[in-house]
Amino acid sequence: MPKSQNINPKVVRKPKFIEFGKIPVNQYNKTIDDEKKSFSKDDFLRIYHDMVVIREFETMLNLIKTTNEYNGIPYNHPGPAHLSIGQEASAVGMAYNLDVNDFIFGSHRSHGEILAKGLSAIHKLDDDSLYTVMKEYFGGTALKVVEKGFSGSVRELARNFLLYGALAEIFARENGFNKGLGGSMHAFFTPFGIYPNNAIVGGSGDISVGAALYKKINRKPGIIVCNIGDASMGCGPVWEGICFATMDQYKTLWSGEYKGGLPLIFNFMNNLYGMGGQTMGETMGYEILARVGAGVNPESMHAERVDGYNPLAVIDAFKRKKQLIEEKKGPVLLDTLTYRISGHSPSDASSYRSKEEIEAWQQEDSILSFGKSLVTAGIAGQDQLDEITSETRETLKEMLKLSIDDNISPRLDLSSDPDVIGKMMFSNSSVDRMEEGTPDVLMPLEENPRVKSIKTKERFYLDKEGKPVSKARIFQFRDAIFEAVIDRFYKDPTLAAWGEENRDWGGAFAVYRGLTEALPYHRLFNSPISEGAIVGTAIGYGMCGGRVIAEIMYCDFLGRSGDEVFNQLPKWQAMSGNIIKMPVVLRVSVGSKYGAQHSQDWTALTAHIPGLKVVFPATPYDAKGLMNKALQGTDPVVFFESQRIYDIGEMFHEGGVPEAYYEIPFGEPDIKRKGDDITILTIGATLYPALKVADTLKEKYGLSAEIIDARSLVPFNYEPVIESIKKTGRIVLTSDASSRGSFLKEIAQTITELAFDHLDAPPVVVGSRNWITPAYEMEEYFFPQPGWILDAINEKIIPLKGHQSKTDFSDEKLIQLNREGV
Amino acid sequence: MATAVLMPKQGQSVETCIITQWFKKKGDKVTAGEILFSYETDKAAFDLEAPADGTLLEIFYPEGAEVPVLVNVAMIGNAGEAVEAVKAVEAVEAVKAVEPAEAVKAVKEVAKSKPAEENKRIRISPRARKMAEGRGIDPAGLYGSGPNGRIIVADIANAAAASVKTAAHDGQEFSDKPLSNVRKLIARSMHASLQNSAQLTHHMSADVRKLLEARQKIKSNLEKDKKQQDITLNDMICWCVIRALEKFPEMNSHYLDDKIRTFGKVHLGFAVDTPRGLMVPAVKNASGMDLAILSKELKSAADACKKGSINPELIQSSAASFTVSNLGNYGVELFTPVINLPQAGILGVCTIINRPASLGNGIFGFVPYIGLSLTYDHRAVDGGPATLFLREIKEQIEKFSY
Repeated sequence: MPKSQNINPKVVRKPKFIEFGKIPVNQYNKTIDDEKKSFSKDDFLRIYHDMVVIREFETMLNLIKTTNEYNGIPYNHPGPAHLSIGQEASAVGMAYNLDVNDFIFGSHRSHGEILAKGLSAIHKLDDDSLYTVMKEYFGGTALKVVEKGFSGSVRELARNFLLYGALAEIFARENGFNKGLGGSMHAFFTPFGIYPNNAIVGGSGDISVGAALYKKINRKPGIIVCNIGDASMGCGPVWEGICFATMDQYKTLWSGEYKGGLPLIFNFMNNLYGMGGQTMGETMGYEILARVGAGVNPESMHAERVDGYNPLAVIDAFKRKKQLIEEKKGPVLLDTLTYRISGHSPSDASSYRSKEEIEAWQQEDSILSFGKSLVTAGIAGQDQLDEITSETRETLKEMLKLSIDDNISPRLDLSSDPDVIGKMMFSNSSVDRMEEGTPDVLMPLEENPRVKSIKTKERFYLDKEGKPVSKARIFQFRDAIFEAVIDRFYKDPTLAAWGEENRDWGGAFAVYRGLTEALPYHRLFNSPISEGAIVGTAIGYGMCGGRVIAEIMYCDFLGRSGDEVFNQLPKWQAMSGNIIKMPVVLRVSVGSKYGAQHSQDWTALTAHIPGLKVVFPATPYDAKGLMNKALQGTDPVVFFESQRIYDIGEMFHEGGVPEAYYEIPFGEPDIKRKGDDITILTIGATLYPALKVADTLKEKYGLSAEIIDARSLVPFNYEPVIESIKKTGRIVLTSDASSRGSFLKEIAQTITELAFDHLDAPPVVVGSRNWITPAYEMEEYFFPQPGWILDAINEKIIPLKGHQSKTDFSDEKLIQLNREGV
Repeated sequence: MATAVLMPKQGQSVETCIITQWFKKKGDKVTAGEILFSYETDKAAFDLEAPADGTLLEIFYPEGAEVPVLVNVAMIGNAGEAVEAVKAVEAVEAVKAVEPAEAVKAVKEVAKSKPAEENKRIRISPRARKMAEGRGIDPAGLYGSGPNGRIIVADIANAAAASVKTAAHDGQEFSDKPLSNVRKLIARSMHASLQNSAQLTHHMSADVRKLLEARQKIKSNLEKDKKQQDITLNDMICWCVIRALEKFPEMNSHYLDDKIRTFGKVHLGFAVDTPRGLMVPAVKNASGMDLAILSKELKSAADACKKGSINPELIQSSAASFTVSNLGNYGVELFTPVINLPQAGILGVCTIINRPASLGNGIFGFVPYIGLSLTYDHRAVDGGPATLFLREIKEQIEKFSY
């Protein structure tokens, strides 16, 4: 909502028609003779060679999956292999003009694209660079295997390295590109500009947009190609990615060299089927996929259908589109028409398509027809082509033998180090800035109006006389987050933040107020209402090397970004074999007052997923310290904030919230009040009701409560909690999350395991009811109240003399509620 | 289909019974009517007969287990028959039984604490258990003050404080044994009696020459004819007490806080020593009985107590209107029996002592006197009538004829 662009009713209310430009379909019409001007004989043969390599590679995998053998070499591969036999021309054509700085992202069916991009990179890199890449990758372990007894050129060696690394990855060997942790559907090799393939259909749809943002915001050379299937056009993240990538603001509001479209090609490898659903004619309505571009922006995304069975047509299209992108006219939508001769997977019985259809496409096989045209045009003899095939087959046999030999290519040794994968889940590094450089800002920090205003605030909730400071004068929770965020913006030039209403408005809860004045558009911008893409783009930005804060306005909207938060953000550090880092902070606000779809605490969902760090501070001191820690790290952090306490002042840290930079380590629960008789563990804003409970316990029942604020959920150090229980023997746990399956239950179970002999009563969880959240006026019946906690203590832990329970915490009630599922 | 052996419900107030002994083991053949196991309530012991012929397929509760009434204790059926399903059904039933009323109460008083031992295992928190081990305290029998009667650290701390006192007095070794239900009941009611009434005891003696004469006659009759009924001294004293109660109905009464309930007939309670402890069965409507019938009734009630087959209703303290407790056999010369509330009095019968007495005509000799100790509740009866009642017993004894 920039004030610089007024929306004039007189203009927008005028009648008119939308005119769509023409979208070219298979307009490439050059002959091979025409192309002799652009391609040398070697170029033509290289195209042919690369296609043959892919074909043979996939054929080999197909034989291994279906017959457990390839040219007499037996092997059983139980894992996936989604093959792309038939799609070779599309892959090679796509990669032909890309260099190492151009990044490709893929799908579950991307072996061909990896090989094509790898072969293209090998062709473009000089020997020294190539050798350095191989030597430095995981200490050169894969290089050693292919180098042994090899006497050819560095480029040939690199080709073997590529084939071996990809195969070893598919077969889950430690020498694989990703230590065997990615596998067939995720393999990638960043030194050649090959970025993650994705087993979730359309998963790259928004991640690649983030990569393009990384290129743009950090002025990096190169473009991004998002290779996804035609059926992924039905996926939300793809649409969201497209919307995110085509926002007007790049061309209207971003300024200077940042002005202009994203360097991104959405390349739909359109093989006409999504597994078994026929996209053209059955499951989609676009008839021709390229049509979709017309609905997105006035340029129709420069959409075009290309004949992906002709490598020269694809090369031509990519050359033209790359040119457009260099003119900052991106992004581009390409509909690369191709056909998958092989099944979706080896178990595919092709029950969804006719034999005639497959045969018709085989008649037009890209390799056969391209080879024929080379012979016809006198570029190569059939024997030359045959030699390429047989030489490829020999090489593959060798690489296969190396990759399946358990001595040469072992898997990660989990028996001698059972924690080896565990150690790869997080990078746990501490990095001031992801890249050296001067951060792009609009004013000196001290001139920022918010910074100036904060200077006048009291940083502790009581003044010198011990009286509570008014809301207007107190340094609030939101100020603490702001302080950490703006500090990092002035430290790390790669840091960018986006989300809904982040700019101008300053975030829905005024955390970012003052950032708009400080930062140019390309570092802080408003996103479309696309929670999936807000997170997905952050993932792409992070995996390319930038630091980012993405914001989901309400925790309830996490569902909208489910795949990104659950399948993408947590996985890539380990699935890459620790090749990439993920410096992404995801701010998630937990609401109240706004009913069933705006008041949920879903911390347990994120804590359940391995690979995410999860924190939930409840005090300004902790918020600043934990945000600093999050922004100093290189791991994905889900940072929960409760809307109940954005305006609260610091009540615990002596001297208030320090102005200077400090970090609070993740995973350390904090004792907010000392006590001897019972421990109360809180997550998030229930810290404050717990204080009331502690007061009542003291005043009315003579019990002193120790209050522990979890602060972090993942990681979590149980030792302080166990120490507390050793002292008190009793614990009640409380948070605003609905109790069933909440993270409190996880903590309660672990405590039972660790401190069983010290417990005088079972750990008791007091969460919210397992209902919809009712209206604000009825919230006291839904969210944990001080009275509930007292009732729970009285009924389950230690009878409180004279206490009258109002809520029923009896075993019978618990059984009944569970039986009823509420 | 296998037959379930249910723990019977012995009396309205009985919720659980303890299995004291199994006479059969799993796999044994049993015939209907054979005794399977013995069990006790808090008041009495019983035997359970096999309800059907067959093989004892499964025993669900071992000796010592406390079993809710009407719960399946064992299964009798054909060898090899499956019993799992039966167990499952029982479990579901048990859960259902918890549901009513409990689930709907919105406001609850402070969680009710029950003695920890009422269930078959001791409810004790791990921390309390550890603490008990560390301090050498046996948690069995301790009162659990936590939720659901759970023994919590506070209870161990209290017990530890108490045992420290004991230890200070004697360093002797000791052994702890959990209280039996009978013991607990006796403890509770005796304690309650002394706490909640105004009781005092008067002592008097009665010349028992007439009683001894009668006893001698009975004995010689018995020697002649074994089929003759034996009538004991105690039977005769009870008979005399009944006569006295008929004259002093205020002693044949219950004191019920706001009223005194006087009984038209005498329901005579009498103390019986059993291996499980003291029991006081009542002989209902004893007023109309002649000595022989009374004697028979007293004997069968005593035997039932010793066997544990007494009807639990008859051993409620409210079943009797007055009680006789005889310690004469043990040589007790005087004692202060404790009233079984709500009864208004109890007569303690002591040993016979030969005392010098005037035989008339200036001649003195030794006369056998039996000691009588009447404890009465001064809330119900004043000293005057109580003394007159005691003297009436004495007179009944002294003028006894057979």
